[in-house]
Amino acid sequence: MFLEIKDLSVKIENKNILNGLNLNINKGEVHAIMGPNGCGKSTLANVLAGKEDYEILNGKINFKDNDLFDLNIEERAQEGMFLAFQYPVEIPGVNITPFLHSAINSKRKRINEEEIDNLSFAKLLKSKASDLGINIDMLKRSVNTGFSGGEKKRYEILQMSILNPDLAILDETDSGLDIDALKIVTEGVNKLKTKNNSFLIITHYQKLLDYIKPDHVHVMVNGSIVKSGGSEIAAEIEKDGFQKFQ
Amino acid sequence: MNIQDNYQKNKKNIFFSDNKDIQSHRDKLINIFETDRFDRKNNESLKNINLKKFIDFKYKYLVSAETSVINNNQDNSYSIVSVNGQCSSFKDDKIEITKILDKDYNDFSKNNTIEKNDHFVNLNSLFLNSGFKIVIKKNNNIKIKISNIVTDDNLTIFQKNNYICEEGSSLNLIEEYENKNNSTSNILNVINLENNSQLNHFLIQDNSSNHNLIITSHSSCKKDSNYTQKVYNFSEGYVRNFHYSELIEANSEADLQGIFFLKDNNTSNNKTFVKHLAEDCKSNQVYKGILNDRSKATYFSNTHVDQVAQKTEGYQLSKGILLSDNASYFSKPELKIYADDVKCSHGSTIGPIDENAIFYLRSRGMSKIAATKILISSFINEELSSIDNEQMSEIIQKKLVRYLSKVK
Repeated sequence: MFLEIKDLSVKIENKNILNGLNLNINKGEVHAIMGPNGCGKSTLANVLAGKEDYEILNGKINFKDNDLFDLNIEERAQEGMFLAFQYPVEIPGVNITPFLHSAINSKRKRINEEEIDNLSFAKLLKSKASDLGINIDMLKRSVNTGFSGGEKKRYEILQMSILNPDLAILDETDSGLDIDALKIVTEGVNKLKTKNNSFLIITHYQKLLDYIKPDHVHVMVNGSIVKSGGSEIAAEIEKDGFQKFQ
Repeated sequence: MNIQDNYQKNKKNIFFSDNKDIQSHRDKLINIFETDRFDRKNNESLKNINLKKFIDFKYKYLVSAETSVINNNQDNSYSIVSVNGQCSSFKDDKIEITKILDKDYNDFSKNNTIEKNDHFVNLNSLFLNSGFKIVIKKNNNIKIKISNIVTDDNLTIFQKNNYICEEGSSLNLIEEYENKNNSTSNILNVINLENNSQLNHFLIQDNSSNHNLIITSHSSCKKDSNYTQKVYNFSEGYVRNFHYSELIEANSEADLQGIFFLKDNNTSNNKTFVKHLAEDCKSNQVYKGILNDRSKATYFSNTHVDQVAQKTEGYQLSKGILLSDNASYFSKPELKIYADDVKCSHGSTIGPIDENAIFYLRSRGMSKIAATKILISSFINEELSSIDNEQMSEIIQKKLVRYLSKVK
């Protein structure tokens, strides 16, 4: 199993958010989690990425034969996990290009691959940015600083395509995107998809799933997966909402 | 030993002690010390300071003017090594350097922007034992680098310097304070900018933990002149940076900036004060601090706009990053505006490093320590990238790397 979440319960500030959540993802699969506001979707994404604000009450997560809780935030990233943030943080003064260069090399170092030099990295970045319709001038700017909502999401996908993760978690990447940007971003995701990597897509709406076809769709309510199935569930939610699952 | 005893005992080593006017001024100062008795409650200059080491100092002074060096390099640049506050006399067609004179002392004591109850400035006047005057002659554009050296343990340097930029002149001044011995420097720089002159003043402070540096400056800007001061405090010892600026004629500008990097138990007190006394003038006061361990800092900024100073633009900003729960930074911005057509602002933000930014960077594979360092560098990126002097930029970068290497 690529990612195995068993009976996961999590709280923050005395409030239980995840309650006995189970989820299995195999290599090469695309999973979508849909759920109403406040059901714990983003908490799940943050717990997987290693955010330290949460208290793990129970459960286990295995990722590529590692106990995920044994790995800190950066080790998870270096092992191939990537979180595309719902609200990417603005970091003035940290230039995009050296930041991403350093990120890719930290991953390569962990897996004993040779570090990528400046010139090769610049070429790679330019080509990936062009695929996503990102202006080269944007790469001279500080991380997410002064970006529009759509630019931030596009930049998250650019980072993902550079770091080429084994498991990408997309936390409401579709929110704040107009239809053209949504197409560009989802095309970027689809280009990355191989039989060796997996995606966990968190969304409210079926629209995103029109562009990225999931193998499995899960409905999350009150911190647990209450129903799993195929794309038909997304259509069901689009028609009737989440009410009937609650 | 109290202040008066100390003064009487060392009178022969103190500048101008045979001048009656100056003696009379000093008597008044002694009287202030005797009556005030360093009352912290009502005196901003004394807050958050370990006073003991400044009041109970042992006066020791060595004359060493002979060892100062001045090089007139080919590219209009001069290098000066000021030893124990002294500098040899020098003259060419661009600059003139002399020892300070009685007359200069009187000019200093007439100054009315520096508070009369600033005890450190008063100690400087009382125990004055060194100092020089540099005049940049009309329409010349030159660079000066001054290395300020204190040679012995237990020395107490009380130094007054006067910089005069004559009309149309431009001076790029780098001052280095890098002392490693157990000593104290109390320095007052008085700066006069004549019409259409410019001074870019960099102060690099990197003393060891047993050296105390108290530096005060007062700049006065005439028509169309521009004073820019950038202070970089990497010292492991106590530093007080108090800098005052008066914009006395139209269209003049003062830009007072500082960054301090503190760690261990170190303390730094900082103050900037700009008086707008003429119309169409601009000022900027920006201080940023990075505080680790149990370090402490204060920063008081103040913009005073006189009623004649219409069309003033005056900005203040204070920012601090606390890298430890035990570090503290107290900041107090003030504005006093008596004119009605002005643009002024002030702001202050102090807090720990942004945990969400740390999480973001770590989620891309960066270690926590690397993420912290990159965020510290980014915090001062704007100030560092605006240094247009390559030599300065390299010096600051090296010192920043050294500071960051100690951040855990």
